[in-house]
Amino acid sequence: MIGLMKSMATTMKHALDGSTFTVEYPEDAPDVSPRFRGVHKFSQERCIWCRQCENVCPNDTIQIVQDDKRNGEQYNLHIGQCIYCRLCEEVCPVDAILLTQNFEFTADTKDDFVYNKEQLKNVPWYKGIDPLESRNPDRGAWIGEGDGEVDYQ
Amino acid sequence: MSLERPDTPDDATIERTPDELAELLGDLVVGRDDHRNAPGFVIRPDTVQQTLSRLKEEAGYDHLSLVTAQEYENRYESIYHLKKFDDPTQEVSVVVPADTDDPVSESGEPVFRTADWHEREAYDLIGIEYDDHPDLRRILLPETWQGHPLSIGYDKDRPQIATLPEHANPLEDHHRDAESDTMFLNIGPHHPATHGVLHLKTILDGEQVIDVEPDIGYLHRCEEQMAQNGTYRHQIMPYPDRWDYISAGLLNEWAYARAAEDLAEIEVPEYAQVIRTMGAEMCRIAAHMLALATFALDVNGDFTATFMYAINDRERVQNLLEDLTGQRLMFNYFRLGGVVWDLPEPREEFFSKTRDFLDQLPGSVEEYHNLVTSNEIFQMRTIDTGILPPDVAKNYGATGPVARGSGVDYDLRRDDPYGYYDELDWDVVTEDGCDNYSRLLVRMREVEESAKIIGQCVDLLEDWPEDERNIQSNVPRTLRPDDDAEIYRAVEAAKGELGIYIRADGTDKPARFKIRSPCFSNLQTLPEMANGEYIPDVIAALGSLDIVLGEVDR
Amino acid sequence: MGTASVQLFPEFISETLGLPGVIGEVIGALVAAAVVGNIVLAFTGVAGPWAKRKITAAFTDRIAVNRVGPFGLLIIPASAVQLLAKELIIPEGVDRPTWDLAPIVLPASALLGFAVIPMGRLGPVNLQLADPEVGLALVFAFASIASVSLVMAGYASNNKYSMLGGLRAVAQNLAYEIPLIVTAMSVVIFAGTLQTSAIVGAQTEVLFSVAGFDVPTWYAFVNPFAFVLFLTANMAEIGRNPFDIPEAPTEIVAGYQTEYSSAYFVLFYLGEFVHIFLGGAILAVTFLGGASGPGPESIGFLWFVAKIWGFFLFTQWARSALPRVRIDQLIEIGWKGMLVLSFANLVLTAVIVGVIA
Repeated sequence: MIGLMKSMATTMKHALDGSTFTVEYPEDAPDVSPRFRGVHKFSQERCIWCRQCENVCPNDTIQIVQDDKRNGEQYNLHIGQCIYCRLCEEVCPVDAILLTQNFEFTADTKDDFVYNKEQLKNVPWYKGIDPLESRNPDRGAWIGEGDGEVDYQ
Repeated sequence: MSLERPDTPDDATIERTPDELAELLGDLVVGRDDHRNAPGFVIRPDTVQQTLSRLKEEAGYDHLSLVTAQEYENRYESIYHLKKFDDPTQEVSVVVPADTDDPVSESGEPVFRTADWHEREAYDLIGIEYDDHPDLRRILLPETWQGHPLSIGYDKDRPQIATLPEHANPLEDHHRDAESDTMFLNIGPHHPATHGVLHLKTILDGEQVIDVEPDIGYLHRCEEQMAQNGTYRHQIMPYPDRWDYISAGLLNEWAYARAAEDLAEIEVPEYAQVIRTMGAEMCRIAAHMLALATFALDVNGDFTATFMYAINDRERVQNLLEDLTGQRLMFNYFRLGGVVWDLPEPREEFFSKTRDFLDQLPGSVEEYHNLVTSNEIFQMRTIDTGILPPDVAKNYGATGPVARGSGVDYDLRRDDPYGYYDELDWDVVTEDGCDNYSRLLVRMREVEESAKIIGQCVDLLEDWPEDERNIQSNVPRTLRPDDDAEIYRAVEAAKGELGIYIRADGTDKPARFKIRSPCFSNLQTLPEMANGEYIPDVIAALGSLDIVLGEVDR
Repeated sequence: MGTASVQLFPEFISETLGLPGVIGEVIGALVAAAVVGNIVLAFTGVAGPWAKRKITAAFTDRIAVNRVGPFGLLIIPASAVQLLAKELIIPEGVDRPTWDLAPIVLPASALLGFAVIPMGRLGPVNLQLADPEVGLALVFAFASIASVSLVMAGYASNNKYSMLGGLRAVAQNLAYEIPLIVTAMSVVIFAGTLQTSAIVGAQTEVLFSVAGFDVPTWYAFVNPFAFVLFLTANMAEIGRNPFDIPEAPTEIVAGYQTEYSSAYFVLFYLGEFVHIFLGGAILAVTFLGGASGPGPESIGFLWFVAKIWGFFLFTQWARSALPRVRIDQLIEIGWKGMLVLSFANLVLTAVIVGVIA
């Protein structure tokens, strides 16, 4: 019986202290870590069309179309297929592709999740956080890159 | 150091050199095929049982960790990865080639019960047939599947029909059986207590279960094949997070990292090892909290408060993990040769947050003991139900909290040290009850041990000299391990021994990538625990196994 | 010895309307029954979609419904519409009309029980529909029809989980009805009557005074042992944690109500909640002095409401903290424990009452 009493006392204690740990989501949006990885943002001005992101992507989420002079034409990214591993941001030498903290996105069909470069450009920062700045102290992911063969394209 | 195991020197623990083993096996051995981790003996396909039982009885290799099957251009091959529960650093591989045209090999099931499911999987995916196997059926794919997807000649464009015959009631026979008074019951694949898509084919006598057979494969996502299509250096690492997706991500990543680093001979800086150890133990706490939460859900019923309290504590760990890795579940934080990021700046804030969590944890654990373990009804429900004797656990290759709840003192963090564990002060938790209660208790006590480890890691990291904070070693951008190098390496994940077998073929992608999932082996023990018990006990036993279907089915 | 001298609710109505004779009795009875029934249904309406969510949330540190209307109260109509608007799925092979009747029998049986419950006075009105000599026996009889409904649902659904749930419900009700009634008998021995109003009337005296505060002769204070027994058996009777095994969602999906959806499900849901309130009402009448409490007698109904809601709160509290027992353990507790204890209690009470009287 004492164990039962203890169990019931514990839950009653929680009920009476009145604290809640859930939040009212849209009004009370959670703070996310500066390292959080959300929807991508793409900058065509910065991009040099080196196609490293397309290469490193583990599940072919990024598709790049170039013309015969290797100028970039299209940059498509299926944010519904993406696994948010951030490897594209890691390989990008010019910070043209970034993962914002923005995790709020919807669409009516799966196809609508294929973002082209315009849509990717218009992805807003989450709470105005620029990941480039917020992650600045730790952006040295490629430190220690070795002497092995470097496979650009 | 509390990591020394109690010394019991007997025949079983004596380490034998490969030559001594070859001598023991005598003319059973027809060749050698050594792996990076262990000597490998090639034997004839009709001497599997003889070889395995000689190694088990006379040399003490009592743990069949994994059966890997693969197809080469000129042969099929099954590899039995053997270890010792008393000393898992002693390993041996038994390599069984089989003919390409007629891939038949003797089953190891009579020697190790765990080979049952492993060989069924090999049959299912590769196509090797095992002689003398009690029940050689497909296990992951539907019974109607044509071909074996991981074999070389598999035609992946061939359409597959995998539906049940239309309008036929598959239960009709069981329904109308006038002879027996038992009832066939499908528990799952959509059932509140199966923790995912697991299907238990249950035969009931009243409320008592007389037979239960887990039917898995509903969440098979070709994880092994996906890894075989990714490059060692980057593309494989995001996927281990998705095997045991219950926030045990870093533990899983470590399994791949350990195997690949040993394969490619990459050194990991000590500083990165400490960060890895800390992150992995955070994941273990998160995983065990969910195990506790769902077990309470199974035994108490929905609306139990324990579930939400445990989820709340898990959220706290996940906040820390988010600060560290940038994600709450799918971390992708490890890299070969280290980790991707140093601790978040400002470091002091991260340390103080972590310490706050550690300070608050004993209070929470106390609360769980009040809520759950000291509750008389809970004890009535869980003590002496779902019994798994230690020798049965070993025979089935059960590991992790399931084995430790049966008094099997086996923890790879201590017995096969990796990371920074052997430098830290912590204890391996075991309980001798062999029942549902013990398995829960092991998890709850392991949470406290993990907290001890995290505390020590935080102290170490805080005092680490600033100029020695090397988070990654020098790893080439493209890794091409030697052709035909083979390795099997395991780590202690949240659910038990998570092992990875990799065979390299000289390219930048693995030729064979095999996952030894602890849940897969642990789930096999369910019939042993459940037969003869009541339905609620089967549910409790299933909850105490703490399986994640993502890892069972891969 | 309490008497039935107080005017009952139907009589009050016929008198107020000025209708004499048989017509007055019929109309009075119908109107009174409608009023009482609606009060009870209003309770369940508040309890099911709103109070239960809020209470569970409080125990689990969450916020729960707060978007629709003040304190989320408008979730009540919203949930009602949502539940009723769902498709009524009738599985192949169900045994009709048993399958259709089961969801009606459950709330009906529980509502019937309220006919003889003295719910206390609200102003000039005495909210009691009928006050027969055998009131207490009647209320148990009504309440136990509920288990018939569960068996009907379990058997007729053509579903193995439902079947198991139905069988569990029978086993459980058999094992706990007897201790429940035997324990109630000890109260009857004290009060010397089965009439509900008289049992309440016998609990109005002062047992003893502590620091100027009068402790009444509620049977919960006179015989706390019987109270605990009764409370436990009552929890089992209404099938709440730790005895919710006929439903046991993590074991047998939802037991007897697995196959029910839409309006039928609502009826079951309603029936269960009415049943909880009936359990609370029986408890209040037999052990907690019915509608008695501090203040004038004319607010007695409010005390009564507070007591049955208190019981509802208790069931939710137990649900948040206590594990479910296993079916064989439940039967064992029932037959080997509760039955013996309840008879011991009965004999002891009889001896004591006999010696004193």
